Amino acid sequence: MSAQYGEPTDERLIQSTLAGDDEAFAALVARHKRRIFGIASRFTRSDAELDDLCQEIFIKAYRYLGKFRGDAPFEHWLARVGVRTCYDHLRRTRHDRDAVALDNVELPSTDNIEPRRAREVLDFALAKLSPEERLVITLLELQERTVREIAELTGWSESNVKVRAFRARLHLKEVLEAHHER
Amino acid sequence: MNDDQLNKLFTAARAEEQNTWRAELAFETRLLARLREQRQNIVPWFVWTWRLAPVFAAIVIALGVWNFTVPTDPLADLVGEASDEAALVAMLTGD
Repeated sequence: MSAQYGEPTDERLIQSTLAGDDEAFAALVARHKRRIFGIASRFTRSDAELDDLCQEIFIKAYRYLGKFRGDAPFEHWLARVGVRTCYDHLRRTRHDRDAVALDNVELPSTDNIEPRRAREVLDFALAKLSPEERLVITLLELQERTVREIAELTGWSESNVKVRAFRARLHLKEVLEAHHER
Repeated sequence: MNDDQLNKLFTAARAEEQNTWRAELAFETRLLARLREQRQNIVPWFVWTWRLAPVFAAIVIALGVWNFTVPTDPLADLVGEASDEAALVAMLTGD
């Protein structure tokens, strides 16, 4: 993509941002916000929380923009910043999440469960997991990322991702079974 | 709950649409406002030297007052000023 004939490239916008041009950063945000909102929305429960988390991600990206070396696409670097900020958010709000309740105690059959209800049930069960377990389940099962992608995003080794995913699934099943037996 | 049921639950949850458009509205404006606010709140290091000037001045005054008000010990003065080792020994032995 050429800056001369069309939209400025990410690299050009980054250079302008580093030179102090806020509008260039706004353009960069506008270009990538959809992806970041997509990542962060799986870790939040309200629009206000989502807005705060996304702002935190972009502020962190702005602060560390000078460290972006350009050896990988900017969106990959930004996604890494996003996932790590979401992980910090999960750790910070861990105790708040213990209060997540499920209105209807009876779990419906999973054969024809509605998407909204499935999300509620999963939100309730994921709140009982550790931040690491919640992160790996969300990335692997809800965002359908590969083990390699998760390893790149989190900085964990691929074998570590597999072990954590396996344990997280076991833990999740225990939580759901325990709730189902009540 | 078996793996099959869990996978069905994940599939159903994935099908739920992520409506983020409300939070995305004017997001850049809010973000830039927050960035500018944070930038204004950052205090350069040289400002701190001016802000801490009264503290340093108070410390200097306190030390000065302490120096004049605390009674001096003649023995300590003698020890401090004694350059001649013999005079010091003579004083300590009472000769």
